[in-house]
Amino acid sequence: MAKARVTGTAPAPAPTEAAYLPGVAFDEMYAEGGMVREHYNPIHARLATLSPEALAERQKTLERSFLLQGITFTVYGAEATTERIIPTDLIPRIIPGAEWNRIEKGLIQRLKALNMFLADIYGEQQILMDGVVPRDLVLGAASYRREMQHVFVPHKAYANVCGSDLIRGQDGEFAVLEDNLRVPSGVSYMLANRDAAKRTFPGTFRIANVRPVERYPDLLLATLKSMAAEWRPNPQVAVLTPGVYNSAYYEHAYLARLMGVPLVEGRDLVVHENQVYMRTTTGLRRIDVIYRRVDDDFIDPLTFRRDSGLGVAGLFNAYRAGNVVICNAPGTGVADDKAVYAYVPDIIRYYLDEDAILPNIETFLCREPAQLSHVLANLDKLVVKAVGASGGYGMLVGPHASQKERDEFATVLRADPGNYIAQPTIQLSTAPCLIDGANIEPRHVDLRPFILSGEKTVVTPGALTRVALRRGSLVVNSSQGGGSKDTWVLSEPRSAKS
Amino acid sequence: MMLARVADSLYWIGRYVERAEHLSRLSDVMLNATLDQTDAAAQAAYIALSAVGDRDQARAAKPYEAALALVMDRKDPNSVLMSLALARENARQVRDQITTETWERLNLLFLKVTADDAPQEFERQSSAFLHDIIADLHLFKGAADATMSHGEGWRFLLLGVHIERAQLIARLLEVCFGDTRGRRVTDRLALMSLLRMACALEPYLRQYTAEIEPRYILDFLLFDEDFPRSIRFATARIEEDLTSLARRMDSHGRAGPERLAGRLKARLQFADVEELEATGASGLLATVTTECARIHEAIYETFVAYPLELRLPA
Repeated sequence: MAKARVTGTAPAPAPTEAAYLPGVAFDEMYAEGGMVREHYNPIHARLATLSPEALAERQKTLERSFLLQGITFTVYGAEATTERIIPTDLIPRIIPGAEWNRIEKGLIQRLKALNMFLADIYGEQQILMDGVVPRDLVLGAASYRREMQHVFVPHKAYANVCGSDLIRGQDGEFAVLEDNLRVPSGVSYMLANRDAAKRTFPGTFRIANVRPVERYPDLLLATLKSMAAEWRPNPQVAVLTPGVYNSAYYEHAYLARLMGVPLVEGRDLVVHENQVYMRTTTGLRRIDVIYRRVDDDFIDPLTFRRDSGLGVAGLFNAYRAGNVVICNAPGTGVADDKAVYAYVPDIIRYYLDEDAILPNIETFLCREPAQLSHVLANLDKLVVKAVGASGGYGMLVGPHASQKERDEFATVLRADPGNYIAQPTIQLSTAPCLIDGANIEPRHVDLRPFILSGEKTVVTPGALTRVALRRGSLVVNSSQGGGSKDTWVLSEPRSAKS
Repeated sequence: MMLARVADSLYWIGRYVERAEHLSRLSDVMLNATLDQTDAAAQAAYIALSAVGDRDQARAAKPYEAALALVMDRKDPNSVLMSLALARENARQVRDQITTETWERLNLLFLKVTADDAPQEFERQSSAFLHDIIADLHLFKGAADATMSHGEGWRFLLLGVHIERAQLIARLLEVCFGDTRGRRVTDRLALMSLLRMACALEPYLRQYTAEIEPRYILDFLLFDEDFPRSIRFATARIEEDLTSLARRMDSHGRAGPERLAGRLKARLQFADVEELEATGASGLLATVTTECARIHEAIYETFVAYPLELRLPA
């Protein structure tokens, strides 16, 4: 257990050694034997000069600034509604330049292949004919949209904004845990955390040579504009939000503000003769590109869910007619399906004739009887996930579950094996975090970089690092008590470049 | 070019912040005046509560409770707290359209009045609490003025402020000088409270010196050209804001809200206090209230809730 700190102005002792369990997980800051990794030296040195009070003070300033900016989600209570900030940790997570370069190449390769896969399955379906991916797995997936068959998508860029979840296992290698190709969120936290980190550790930031993330909004705008029809010289872009009650509303408003484009809701839009218009004070104004932050199911009650009040009637027909571009394209979810995930290395090989740069996590498909029996026999070692679910719902973390929970899950699993996959429990890498405003302790983290794909594919040199704030927890989702921290991607040293 | 929904929200932010400021000031002046156990104090409480439409005059006997309800009542959509909450909710819905500086002022104020310890804070130091709300609202307006583009969005914000202000001041004057009321305010200290409620005491004194006369007050709060809380000033701004907004429209030859605003402005321009002495103030004050309501409707018909078939592309 972490010891209580002695108060006073003495420099903070080194992060509580006892809190680290050597050999259990890869730590981002400490190498084996307690040596500080080279790229962590500046921040480690800075932390050693700050008293616990000074750290707590900075943490408070940070939280206050988030509250003031309205980077909050609303908790609706019986008596009063309150606003909470997303827990944010002030100690940055650092990734060396060379390591990032490999991640970047791997992400671009992966998104390229997944976009080719989407273009194929919504086109000629060659990959299904060749039997590389089982036909029923794709066409039977809930996220497969028959309506998208043979729709023209500019640059064949179906997923324009992708947020992949990477994790670093015990061996220290990054692997892809999940691809998010629907409406990935979190990029505003990447930017807000960076803003906060610059103010918290200005001196360290300056000498660390961190690559900037601040270009994300204009890269996003350029990506969206590149999706517009070329005969529309100055395309009107808009961000479509479900509205102020959505938990990611802050992000929608933030991106719209930084891109300088209108933030629209379904009720602001009208479709007339297959053109999409927004209602302005001076009449109707045509929209060319919609960056939608509304799920497929809800964008058009005429095409998808009829009970949706969030979308626009007729939007999908306008899209099919080529008069508006919806980003991400509807139906991209089929490529980040947890069962299709198992085939991504094969998909990369099939389209690009390359090996995947970033490996997958070993995945057992419960639809295969042999793999199902292996999963059932090893439930205490595996993480089992529902194929269609996300956000940390509907999953079983075997080693952390009781025998009773495992038995109950086994029954569910046998009843509907096709709906589940299983993966070994990975000890995510740990990074130092300020806990309870006093102690620096390791917590498990993942990494969500953001990839943009339109005419070009670009990766922003930074990411959202999500943190499982509960001690020992491996679940980083914000809906399950996770927080986040800034991620510093360092420039490569000059000598390495020349 | 701006979304109709956004214009709507900005307009309401303006109305709510003006309402919150006015109510805070009424409460503050009432609490201060009623520290004295005099007839003037009772009149001040009567003015404040009548001006917010509280018919239950028994509450005037308990000014602290009445002020607490006016400011902190979460169930009353017109309380200061709820006005600020609604202004902030509207601001959140158009967060992409207002500057960070403007947003932060309003958000900070909202967090302050909705904090768990806010009721205790009000109890401990009501006057300081109300004073801070008013000062924070001035900061909000200042931040909007200094950091927002003085374009369409800013005009809608101001339009809300000025329409609300004209109606609130008209209501306040009606309570004191209307013909239908049984009770006319004549007490000097009560009249000073009235001036304070309109934030007008100091400018009034510079104009008329310390001669506090109902006739002068009426003249000042209705017809002064330069005082920002006079009705003439507010209606001139309404007309100016709408003319500026109408310039951006291709108006298809329809009579818009700017015509109504021009007519109201002219009505105020050509009336004077002698005329009111002959006919009574109620007629003119009623005109201000109903015309502001018609302008409000015309703004909706023109900019926000217009029928789509009139605006479809040819």
